[in-house]
Amino acid sequence: MKRWLLILALISAQAALAAPDGKRLYEENCSACHQSEGKGGIGLPLTDEILAQLSDEYIAKTIRNGRPGRIMPSFETLSDAQVGAILKYIRGWSTKPAPVFPKVAKRGDPARGKPLYEKNCQRCHGKDGSGEGSGTGVTLSREREFMVMPAALNNPGFQRSASDAMIADIIRRGRRIGGMPSFRKKLSEGQIGDVVAYLRTLQPPPPVRGSEEWAGKAAYVMESPYGFDETVEALKQAITGANFRIFPARYLEQGLTDEFSVDTRQIGIRFCNFKELYHLLNIDPRLGTVLPCRINVLERNGKVLLVSPNIVELSKLFNNRELSEVAVIMEEIILAVMEEATL
Amino acid sequence: MKRFLILVLALLFSTPLLAGQPIMMVRSKLKAADAMEVLKETVQEYGYSIAHVQRCDGGMAEFDYKSDFYRVLFFGKIDEVRGILKRYPEMAPFLPLKIAVIAENDETVLAAVDPRALAHLYGHNPVLQVQFARWYNDIRSMMEELRHYRKK
Ligand code: HEC
Ligand code: HEC
Repeated sequence: MKRWLLILALISAQAALAAPDGKRLYEENCSACHQSEGKGGIGLPLTDEILAQLSDEYIAKTIRNGRPGRIMPSFETLSDAQVGAILKYIRGWSTKPAPVFPKVAKRGDPARGKPLYEKNCQRCHGKDGSGEGSGTGVTLSREREFMVMPAALNNPGFQRSASDAMIADIIRRGRRIGGMPSFRKKLSEGQIGDVVAYLRTLQPPPPVRGSEEWAGKAAYVMESPYGFDETVEALKQAITGANFRIFPARYLEQGLTDEFSVDTRQIGIRFCNFKELYHLLNIDPRLGTVLPCRINVLERNGKVLLVSPNIVELSKLFNNRELSEVAVIMEEIILAVMEEATL
Repeated sequence: MKRFLILVLALLFSTPLLAGQPIMMVRSKLKAADAMEVLKETVQEYGYSIAHVQRCDGGMAEFDYKSDFYRVLFFGKIDEVRGILKRYPEMAPFLPLKIAVIAENDETVLAAVDPRALAHLYGHNPVLQVQFARWYNDIRSMMEELRHYRKK
């Protein structure tokens, strides 16, 4: 036991002493979403041109705050030195110096900013600032409405990280990569201040909630009054009735052992609605980690159980509000299917 | 004691790779089809059997959607799957284990749910928690291998 504590102490001491390696930290924590050298992916691009618009303070705060409900996690466990190392590494891609913005900006009038926002920004950033179109980041392999999805401006992580002066600068210059135009000639300095003031009033939508009954549970579990085979049939009918396409069913142990020893009293009925799937993968490509939709039928001590993942609880792992909204709708459909099959 | 050690180990090695994020992700420089092949080999090297590969892209292409390689690899160890399902039928949705393989042009993103993120939904059941920590360690190591893999 003592030896273990010693090893523990040694490892933590070593971790504390070594200077953090920005490249390694970026690859471990950021590149899955922002791609190598910030070319963009699920996350926004962090290229030369964009970095020239982002202050060090904003980037560091963005790492700390993340984007609640907009996929990017908050990295609370990184030390200041580690955040600093990532920042230094990212800056290395850019030939331009980090911009520094004045701390206090002239505050505009949100009431005057509202119509300006509606006229100039809403078609990309959405009525409430949540962003138009499904998903985030750069469009790579799948078709979407935008090449770069406009960021959510009502996001508390963005609002807490970006200063008024920096937002005004982005409006002035636009974002060429994502197709956001420069508003330097369209809006006066005063009007830009008004738009910024209006942006500050945008609120994130309230959190979505699934069924109370199943909240906090990993799976929806229902007992069937029928035998095993009858239940499977009833379930397939209910799924087809809900307009899903059924795939060939698979035993839960199938492929893990030979066909003679597979337990045939545990089966997964798999189904999908491709149109919906396509839409969902645009919202969050990571969704495959919980796909496809599957309702399992298991026989346990003479009882037949239907078991399906609680998709509202699962959706919470994705930090993606758009996805959680769909999960609440899907939950209703899946519970209705399960109820129908066990009626 | 053994259980305690596993927990300590799980804690120790749980730092990098999107530290503490419920969805584990890595980027591989391999093309998706190659990444899938390497992943299949790696999964087997870690003692798991491959249950099947689910094609999400095939079905979408049939419906005239433009989509690149999108597959999910299902894998497991029969003894583990059988043992867990026997005691916890409500674990059925999460077995076999899975890793999604997502093309991004010439690179690939691999994603999986950190099984430890499910612990609170199972009332922090100690047996499951140890199992989750083991799965996490394996998935994490496998993903790290893909992250570092360079074509020979
Ligand atoms: C799981 C995916 C994910 C990870 C991991 C991630 N990000 Fe992000 N990041 C995003 C998304 C998505 C956005 C844009 C949010 C939006 O569209 O509203 C974003 C936005 C940003 C922005 C704002 C860009 C701009 O144009 O203003 C910065 C800076 C950033 N991320 C840096 C990082 C850094 C540094 C890391 C690693 C410490 C990181 N991100 C990790 C997904 C991610
Ligand atoms: C044609 C679509 C379009 C229009 C119109 C547009 N934007 Fe954008 N905007 C984008 C896109 C796309 C991004 C993300 C681009 C990127 O990072 O490359 C973005 C990014 C931003 C950002 C940075 C947000 C972040 O998280 O990094 C701000 C601030 C912003 N826009 C404000 C505005 C305002 C205010 C207006 C109106 C005056 C406006 N935009 C008009 C498309 C648009």
